Amino acid sequence: MNTGNNVRIGPFEIFYPIAQTFERPRQNGGQQFPGKLFVVEGIDGSGKSTQLSLLHKWLESKGYGVVFSTWNSSPLVKDTTKLGKKKKMLTPATFSLIHATDFADRIERSILPLLKAGAVVLCDRYIYTAFARDVARGMDRQWVRELYGFAMRPTVAFYFRVPLEAAIGRVVTARDGFKFYEAGLDLGLSDDPTESFRLFQGKILQEYEKMIPEFGLTVIDATLPVEVQQMQVRQIAKIHLDKAKELRVRP
Amino acid sequence: MRQTYGKQLPGMKLSDLSGTLIVVEGTDCAGRTTQINLLKTWLEEQGHAVLDTGMTRSPLAGEGIRRAKEGNNLGRVTQSLFYATDFIDRLENEIVPALRAGFVVLTDRYIYSLMARAIVRGMDAAWIRSIYSTALVPDAVIYLRISVDALIPRVIFSRGFDYWESGMDEFPGQDMYESFRSYQGVLLAEFDKLSMEYHFETVDASADVKTVFAELQKKVLRILEGDSRKEYVSKQYEQPTANAFMKPQEAVAAMLPGLGRRDLEMLLHSAATHASDGNDRSVA
Repeated sequence: MNTGNNVRIGPFEIFYPIAQTFERPRQNGGQQFPGKLFVVEGIDGSGKSTQLSLLHKWLESKGYGVVFSTWNSSPLVKDTTKLGKKKKMLTPATFSLIHATDFADRIERSILPLLKAGAVVLCDRYIYTAFARDVARGMDRQWVRELYGFAMRPTVAFYFRVPLEAAIGRVVTARDGFKFYEAGLDLGLSDDPTESFRLFQGKILQEYEKMIPEFGLTVIDATLPVEVQQMQVRQIAKIHLDKAKELRVRP
Repeated sequence: MRQTYGKQLPGMKLSDLSGTLIVVEGTDCAGRTTQINLLKTWLEEQGHAVLDTGMTRSPLAGEGIRRAKEGNNLGRVTQSLFYATDFIDRLENEIVPALRAGFVVLTDRYIYSLMARAIVRGMDAAWIRSIYSTALVPDAVIYLRISVDALIPRVIFSRGFDYWESGMDEFPGQDMYESFRSYQGVLLAEFDKLSMEYHFETVDASADVKTVFAELQKKVLRILEGDSRKEYVSKQYEQPTANAFMKPQEAVAAMLPGLGRRDLEMLLHSAATHASDGNDRSVA
């Protein structure tokens, strides 16, 4: 398997993470961990969570020690986030900072020690979600990247690329109504939640597109059938796990 | 026009922030809270609208930080960012609106304490500076400087050693006294460095409350003099501050003409037992 910039794996063209331009993380910098970190990214309705949970099942069946970490779940910070959202107290800056605090707690408490211990860590959303959302909210692009300077680079960051309308269609039919910040109603783009959500997701999508070359995101075409996407995901994950047989908890 | 340290937050206009932003910095137990309470009363008597604010007093993150510090599992990156959240919430929702309304804002600690604490905990200096590049440059930073040796009796006879102020998270394996000395020592060194870089106005905080207060009043008057709207105030109080032969107590009494010595004592006493001690916790 060669690692050129546009490799063909299977019948579909994908980008292979080769352009690693993200500065070496400062606080955890330069360290090599035996564990593997796979993250999924994409706008709401891109199907990334489905794909990650399928990858999870597969890795478990292969006997790897797998741990799942979701966005916005730190026990220390989540009450503050909840308070800020419920009372609509968050500005773009404090929205950004409270999510960074939550992420930092998950990194320090679980992700970092797990990677050191050699686990396979799966993250539903990672720093790229923060980059996309915070910049869409008007935060300085460079500032947000510096803010997350303590994060370790993932082994693979899968980006589930889907046209805006397809994702919106999935989300709008799947739930009734949007939450205030989820729809970006704090930005005053539109008074109509669905319209605001559409505009906000459009901005986020633009940010994701810029990050593909910047961080070497691995693009998966999320309009393909679920099974086909999962085959690609597993194929790519396998490449990185082949070098990590010692991680297996069962033979 | 008011400046930031490099980056501007979305939606924050810097053009009409006409108030005065005065920072009081210093290590733990340097007497910041006592002095701020005295300054606030004094400035209000002169007709200034005053907002005082300090660490962990934000409605958003204050309670969350207090709860997180009760446990033993608050990591250092998380801690730094939690404090940044608290700071930015107060900057956007308290400090900036007050400055826009022409208030004198007295802040008990500012980004410098937060940077010093993060740096002594091993955080990358460039990283923490980048986060606080969104902060407003204040009109003055008054630094209440006190040596570790002078600090120790104050701590022992006020409220005793505290886990976080002793840096027990950074110097485990030592007893609280040793840890306190080590931690406050490196913190002081970091403050001294920041003092040069950010041009702090240093006040010797080992003197008694009244002497320090008289010193602070002089500095605050000079800061307010720079502001044309406050010309009236600075002229009115020019005389006593200029008299170098006056004892500090007399100088204070002269500057507070309506106040007798007993009132002053009471003022100092009540300020010392004010509800919040500015050290991330409240005193009943």
